[in-house]
Parts: sequence; structure tokens; C-alpha cells
Amino acid sequence: MSAILEVSGVTKRFGGLVAVNDVSFSLAAGEIAGILGPNGAGKTTLYNLLTGFIPADEGSIVFQGRQLRGVSPHRIVRMGISRTFQLCRPFVGMSVLENVKVGGLAQPAPPEGRDAHAHRLIAQVGLSGKEDMPAELMAYGDQRRLEIARALAASPKLLLLDEPFAGLGSGEIAELSALIRQIHADTGLTVLLIEHKLHEFMKLVNRVIALDFGELIADDVPERIVTHPRVVEAYIGGNVPETEAA
Amino acid sequence: MVEILIQGAVSSAIYALLAVGFTLIFGVARILNLAHGSFYALGAYATYLLTTYDWPLVPAALVAIAFVAGFGVVMERVLVRPMRRRSLLAVLMITLATALAVEQLLFLSFGSEYRNVPALVSAKYTLFGVDIAGQRLLTVVAAVVLIGLLWLFIQRTRLGSAILAISQDPEAAQYMGIPSDRIFSIVMALSAALAAAAGILAGPFLTVQPTMWLLPVVKAFAIVVVGGLGSIPGSILAALMLGYAETIVAYLASTSWTEIIGVLATLLMLIFRPAGMFGKRAAF
Amino acid sequence: MNRRALDTLAGAPGRMADPKPALLARTPPANLLGDRLDLAGAGVFVAIMVVLPLVIDNSYLLGVLSVALIYALWAVSWDFMSGLTGRENFGHALFIGAGGYTAGFMNTVWFIDGWWSIPAGMVVAAVFAIVVGLPTLRLKGPYFALAMLSASVIMERLMLIFWEYTGGEEGINGVEPLFDSPLAFYYFALAVLLVVTVALVMLARSNWGLVLRAIRGDEATCQAAGLNVTWYKIASLLISGAIAGAGGAMYAHYQMQVSPQVFTVVLTITVITMVYVGGMGSVWGPIGGAILLVMMTELLRDFGEWRLMIYSLTLILILFFLPEGFIAPLWHRFKARLGANR
Repeated sequence: MSAILEVSGVTKRFGGLVAVNDVSFSLAAGEIAGILGPNGAGKTTLYNLLTGFIPADEGSIVFQGRQLRGVSPHRIVRMGISRTFQLCRPFVGMSVLENVKVGGLAQPAPPEGRDAHAHRLIAQVGLSGKEDMPAELMAYGDQRRLEIARALAASPKLLLLDEPFAGLGSGEIAELSALIRQIHADTGLTVLLIEHKLHEFMKLVNRVIALDFGELIADDVPERIVTHPRVVEAYIGGNVPETEAA
Repeated sequence: MVEILIQGAVSSAIYALLAVGFTLIFGVARILNLAHGSFYALGAYATYLLTTYDWPLVPAALVAIAFVAGFGVVMERVLVRPMRRRSLLAVLMITLATALAVEQLLFLSFGSEYRNVPALVSAKYTLFGVDIAGQRLLTVVAAVVLIGLLWLFIQRTRLGSAILAISQDPEAAQYMGIPSDRIFSIVMALSAALAAAAGILAGPFLTVQPTMWLLPVVKAFAIVVVGGLGSIPGSILAALMLGYAETIVAYLASTSWTEIIGVLATLLMLIFRPAGMFGKRAAF
Repeated sequence: MNRRALDTLAGAPGRMADPKPALLARTPPANLLGDRLDLAGAGVFVAIMVVLPLVIDNSYLLGVLSVALIYALWAVSWDFMSGLTGRENFGHALFIGAGGYTAGFMNTVWFIDGWWSIPAGMVVAAVFAIVVGLPTLRLKGPYFALAMLSASVIMERLMLIFWEYTGGEEGINGVEPLFDSPLAFYYFALAVLLVVTVALVMLARSNWGLVLRAIRGDEATCQAAGLNVTWYKIASLLISGAIAGAGGAMYAHYQMQVSPQVFTVVLTITVITMVYVGGMGSVWGPIGGAILLVMMTELLRDFGEWRLMIYSLTLILILFFLPEGFIAPLWHRFKARLGANR
């Protein structure tokens, strides 16, 4: 398993605020890793750096051996990085099928054809039968699945999920978690996941990268992370994450 | 040279009155009011109408301003607010349609010939060796006074703080119990009043005809692009820049080329620095 | 550059464009009935338009219909860009005037044959589209709408200011007609309209149209999905502008003159009203809107001065009560009643 993503010494400042401070880690192909951190720790900023929406001030980001600095967001998607967002934002006024199809338009047409590809993804996320529903009318849990299908439509090698469990009830969280695990198992995709909801999160990932105030404070397996002194300090000092998804 | 200084000040004054109102309502309510020029036109026409009924000028002007302010409030409540729920473009569309309707109303009521709004000050003065119509001088003074009053109002009163709060974070302001809707109406009234004042001051020496709403909107847009949407200091500065640029070009080249300046400035700004000089951050 | 993209992502989802009208262009699964009905409907329409002037030999009617066809061309082109993407263009007259004056100059100043002015008008309009569209379409916010408005107003002013070259208010007279017979022009305009509409409807139903509608749905997310949103917007603006320019050139040759009227805000608003009536986002609906409104204008001839007032009030009423229009929605409902679901 080679490193699909290498982040080295990445720093991002917004004026006087250092949002991401000298963060380094690497992801092996096929991992599911999680990013943990209280609000303001720099998690979403990190995603924005990875997807090219903001330029890093220092450091390098190498994806599949290619340097990402200075590459436009479109090209980064085409290179194989897709992301979802904290708030579900489906294309309003379009059906589920159309939403997923648009997700794939940045890439050349797959051999099975765009329609078949989209249908397959919709089935994969468990939305079969809902292809023609207006996206914005679906239940939030279904919209989350749509987001994932749409991100998968671009045939990514690396999937960045930003708080996929936000706004879901405990049953839905368990289902979505199972879905993510299933997709990972089926496709061997590398998945990076930001979450607050520790309980499900810990069961899903095999590695946790913890951030606090933009710094990487721990990088370890879930069992050791929860007892890591700096992680505990970060959380006791600030927001206590939900450890029980009751 | 002195002439340019003075005439430039007059142009800038009118532009400042227009631009400040335009940017004010945008900064607070995110409404780009394409009917802003209609306030300008209505101010001039209302004053004109009252003077034909032998009203003395000052009361006529004040009543006209009050009327236009009221019109602005009604327009916002009845026409604009329902559209805000839909989309920002629906708002643009309705203000544009309103502007056209007002233009037609003026056309049907007054015809298309130029009307004569009498000057508040008919005397001529000589300043630094240059003759200047009293009305033009008054325009500059009035603009400074009005904008200054507005600034004081925003900085020193509770209502002003509320306005500042809403422009920076509408949601948070609402959570703090600030009645946004009422504030929108007040700001709209202020915005309309400023534009109406510009119309009344400029009426005597600029053209008064039903289509007079369009160019002020285009210029106001150019000014707020350069100055930064939502920034009052930006609008004032950009108004000065445009006013003087146009005056200088008019004196050095010819009046024909003045129109291009605003457009060129807008285009260049949008290409290189769309946030304008003071951008959204520095609202007020 | 990318900071701006970030602004669109991090900003509140205050919607720029009204999402609902795009439902018109939505494509639920086709049962063949829907497509066949569309073809049948189009066929009936074309048949009527072809036969009408032959059956009713009235030059006045022919004139009204010819003008309606050109307005339809302008309205359809507007809908293709603004109706689909939701980025409303408040200065469509810029393209119309560009085509018109290009035709005027070419024909009367340089004595070039009229048939060259249509492609030339398209090119000039396209250039305007790039000049105004390129800086403004990559920005979020109302810049594009207002920049287009400003550009068209300034062009109108310029035509008046430089009256020695442009004929001022009178404009350019003596533009040669393209055909000797008005009937021939009518069929030509009809043919152009049909070809253009079919092409644009097919584009709207293709992946291109999907992207345009996604731009309306959530532009920032569309960008995040890896699509060069700005490119799509500019490309559609180019198409929209070029077609409007062609219409403008045709109009100049038809009226045999060009005046600053072709740059006015009133013209833009008229075209937009036609789109609203016809059905925003349907691409073909504005044809009905154009015909309806031109007819209405003729009927209101007696009200002369009140015409524009009625127009603007109509627009306000439509914005409130029928923002999706009624021609295309009516057709969809009709088809649904018959069992089609597209």
C-alpha cells in the first residue's frame, strides 16, 4: 500500500490567524482515516487546501505523485479527489438522477455510459427507485446519500467527506456509516472523513488524525486517540464531542 | 482650473447622494434597487408639480422628499419584500419593472418634454474668481450636510447601530431582537430621501424628463462597483473620483467622452478588483 | 482567484436565482407519448405559421407576424442562457443593437451586401458578450445583470452622442431589405427561428443543459464537482448573444433602418417579459410569449401612450402570480392530462 496523499508542512494563514499550522501526514491508498478536532481546528480549511479552493502558504500536497499546489480545483477533481460538504446542497430543480449525472460530467464518459453509471451509483447508495424525485424534496438522510453518489460519480480515488453524519438521527447515522464502509470495501477507495460524532466515527475509521488550533496533535488508531493526553485536553477544554450516539 | 474644482464638486455631490443611498440599501437589505433612479426622478417631478400649484419652493421640496421616502417604503413592503423570499434576481427584476412603470407614469402625467424645476437659489456667486450658480453651490453644501447627518446618525444613534449590525450579520442581528423589517423600511426611506434630494438639487440644471432615472442607476452602479458594494466611504470616494474624472474630461476633451469613463472604470474594476476599493468587509 | 471560489462556498446559501422555473426543462423519464406530443405540437405550430400568410392575404398581419418571429428569436436566445442558468441578463438589447448597427453600417456606409451582415452582426455581438461577460460571469452577485444593463444603456447613449456617425435619434436609414418580397422574409425568419429553437432545445436537453441547470441549482457545488462553471456561462452567453445579434441584423434589414431604440432597456424588458409569459427555462415557450405580446401590442395600438405602462404592469403581475409563465406550463399540463410525463 503506497501513499496516495502526502501532506508536508502545510500552513495556511488568514491574516493574523493561522488556520492550518505545519500539518504533515500521509494517507495510504485504500485507508479510511478520520480527521478529528473541535470547531475551528482547521479541518474544513484543510479540505479546502486539498481540493485547491484556497492556496497553501507553505508546504506541499502531493496526490498520486503529483504536486497539487497551483492546480485549479477543476483539475484536482479530474485528477481524482472528490468532496462532500457539511450542509447538503443538492442541485435544486433537478432530479436525483440528474444530480448524479452532473457529478460525473467533469470526467470523460465511463464505458458503460453516463446514464448506466449514474443508475449504478444510485443503487449503490441505496436510493434505487428515487431517481426521478426532485432532489430538494428528499429527506435529509437521503440527500446525504445523494451527495455521496454525486461525489462518486466523478470516479474519485480519494473521497473527502465533511461531517457526513451532521443532522442525522442515530439510526440514520448507523446506516450511513454502514454504507460508507460498504463503498470502501467494494471500491477500495481512499476515504478521509471529518466528524464530530465520535462513536460511529471510531467504528468506521482505522486511523485518526487529530487537529487542534490548526496543529496536528495526534495521528494514531482510534483506541489510542481517545486516551491521548493532548486530544483529551483539546476536548475537555472546548466542546465535548458526543461519545454516545444515543 | 478653479472651474474644474468647483464643477467637479457639484457633479461629485450629486453622485455621492445617489451612490450613498444605493449602497446603503444594498449593504443593509441586500437589495440592488434598480428603481433608485425613480426616487431621483420623483423628487424632481414632485417638487415641480407642487410649484405649479404655487407652493413656495422649500416646503415643496420637503414635502416632495417626504413623499418619495414614503413611496420607497411602500414599494419595499409591497413589491420588493415578497420577491426577497424568492431570489435576489426576482428583486432586481421587480425593481426594474417598477422603474419602468414609474417612468411611464411620469410620461403619461407630464409628457416627455423637459420640465423646469425652479432653483432654490437663483443668485449667482463668484468664488475664487469663478462665476457659479447659487444652486450648484447649494448642491455641494447640501450634499455634504445630508451625508454628514447620515453618518452621524449611523455612528451615534441606537438605530444607526442596529443598521450597522444588520449590514454585518443579518441573522445574528435578528437573534439579538433587532427588527430587521422595520429597519429595512427606515433605510429605504433614507435611501429614497437622499436620491430625491439629489433630484431636487440637480433638477434646475440637469434634465428633468421621464427617462431621467436610468442614467443615475447606471452611474450609481459604476460608483458602488468602484467604491465597493455596501461601503459608504467607498461610495463617497468613488463618487468624487467619477465626478472629477468626468469634469476633467469634459473640459479637456469634450462632453461626449464623459459617459465612457464610468463604464470603463466599472469594467476595469470588475476585471482586477471586483470587491471595489473598500469591498464588502468595510460596510460602513 | 480561488479565494473567490471559496467565497461562493462559504457564503450563506442565499439563492441567486429562482430555482423553480427550471422545473420546466426538467426531464422525468420520457414515455414516448411526451416526445410524440411535442413533435405533434411543433408540427401543428409550424404548419399554422407556414399556411397562415397564404390563407390570410393581409400585408399588415404579415408584418406583425414577421416582427413577432424576430422577437421570438431574441426571446429564445435570452431564455437559453438566462432561463437555464438563472443568471439574468438585463442588457440583451446590447446584442440586438450590436447586430442592428453592424448591419446598418455595413450596408449603408460600406455598401456590403445584406447577407454578410447577419454573420457579421453575430460576431460583433459575440465580442460584446466576451467583453462584458468574461469579467462579470465569474463573480457571484448581481454584477453580470447590472453590467449588461449598463453596457446597453451606454451603447444607446453613445449612438446618440456620436450622432454625426450614427445618425443620432434618427439612426441609419436606407438599409436594404434582404428580400424583395415580405413573404420571403417571413419564411426566412420562420426558418431561422425553427432551426435555432430546435438546436437550442437539443442543447438544453443534452449534458450541456444539465450543467446550465445545475448552475442555477447550486453554482458553487457545481464548481466543486469539477465543472468549469464560468466557461459554461460564457459559452452560453456567446451563443445567446450571437443569435440575438443575428436577429438584430435581420430586424435592421426588415425595418430598413436602425435607431438607438435597439439598445434600449425597454427592449430588453420586453424580451424578458416575453420569456416570462412563455415559460422561463423552456427555451421554446418564449416563442409563444413573443407572438402573444406582439399581438397584444398591436391590439393596444389604440392606447398608444399607455402601451409601455401596460407592459410594465403586466410584468409586475406576472412576477407575482405567474413567475413560471403560462404557455409552456400549460402545454406540460396538457400533455400530462393525456398521459405523458415529460
